[in-house]
Amino acid sequence: MSTATTIYVIDEIVALPGKGRALLEAYHERYAPGARARGMALDRVLVSPPMWLDDDSNTITISWTIQGAPAWWGMSFQSRNDPGVADWWAEVDEMIVRRSRHFATAESDIAEICNV
Amino acid sequence: MFSLVSLVHLAEGAEGDVSAALGALEARVARTLPGTFNGGDLIAHFDFADEDSYRDVLPAIDAVLGGGGVTRADSAFYRHGRHGAADPGLATGVYRALLLSADRPVSRPVLDKFEAEMVRMPHYIPAIRNWRLSRVIEARGERRWTHVWEQEYASLDGLNGPYMLHPYHWARIDRWFDPECPDWMIDTRLCHSFCAFGRAVLTA
Repeated sequence: MSTATTIYVIDEIVALPGKGRALLEAYHERYAPGARARGMALDRVLVSPPMWLDDDSNTITISWTIQGAPAWWGMSFQSRNDPGVADWWAEVDEMIVRRSRHFATAESDIAEICNV
Repeated sequence: MFSLVSLVHLAEGAEGDVSAALGALEARVARTLPGTFNGGDLIAHFDFADEDSYRDVLPAIDAVLGGGGVTRADSAFYRHGRHGAADPGLATGVYRALLLSADRPVSRPVLDKFEAEMVRMPHYIPAIRNWRLSRVIEARGERRWTHVWEQEYASLDGLNGPYMLHPYHWARIDRWFDPECPDWMIDTRLCHSFCAFGRAVLTA
């Protein structure tokens, strides 16, 4: 079983020009506490380019971890039953050009995570 | 072929009468198993050769589902969609139905992509022995159900284990169901129901 495999939840967000810093501050202040409460641990935050652009887009990559598929379902179940989470994404959409959310594991964990 | 699946919520003490009445209308009827979510107390599954046959018997079905023994029913009538059968003779397995409502505005190609990804699940998750994904013609209940995703498993372990835990499900398909993902398009209110009919119904 794959209960202990580390799963990465990766948000990649392209901010509207000049909005990268404000967007990330809002993410830290308003999104991250709830994500932690749902069982995710913040892994890292990457900003590209590594400066705040005034007239172009920053790309922000935020990586969380959660341990195993059952915990992933627990997190996701809480998230989709809290309308505030969907509202958060709708509210910050005005600062976003595009975004994606991906779920991943280390290459070395693929066999384990698929062994269900 | 067409089918109607009804997830029936019973009034107290009504199981025998409601089961018998639906059975008399040629439904396969079984009590749901523990763990369903918005899945009702009974699953009634009807097959019809054509839509007229369904219309002919619908008033009698409505009389049962609208009667005092039933508090609520989520139902979907559909033409059989894409399907597959790895174990057509499965007699002791578990039948599962997911009623979903793709109610957010998306283009036809996006809906096609969703459906194409859904029907690849049995390829990656062989515990899904028989399956069918259908677009709903007529829906009743808590949502305007748009799709019925039916599967049969050799046992409940197949549903609770490989189906739920395989990454093709949670890391690939589920983004259509997840309000946190940009591809989200399916109402979070779902009907997840399963039972043991004592015979395969998807290959009947």
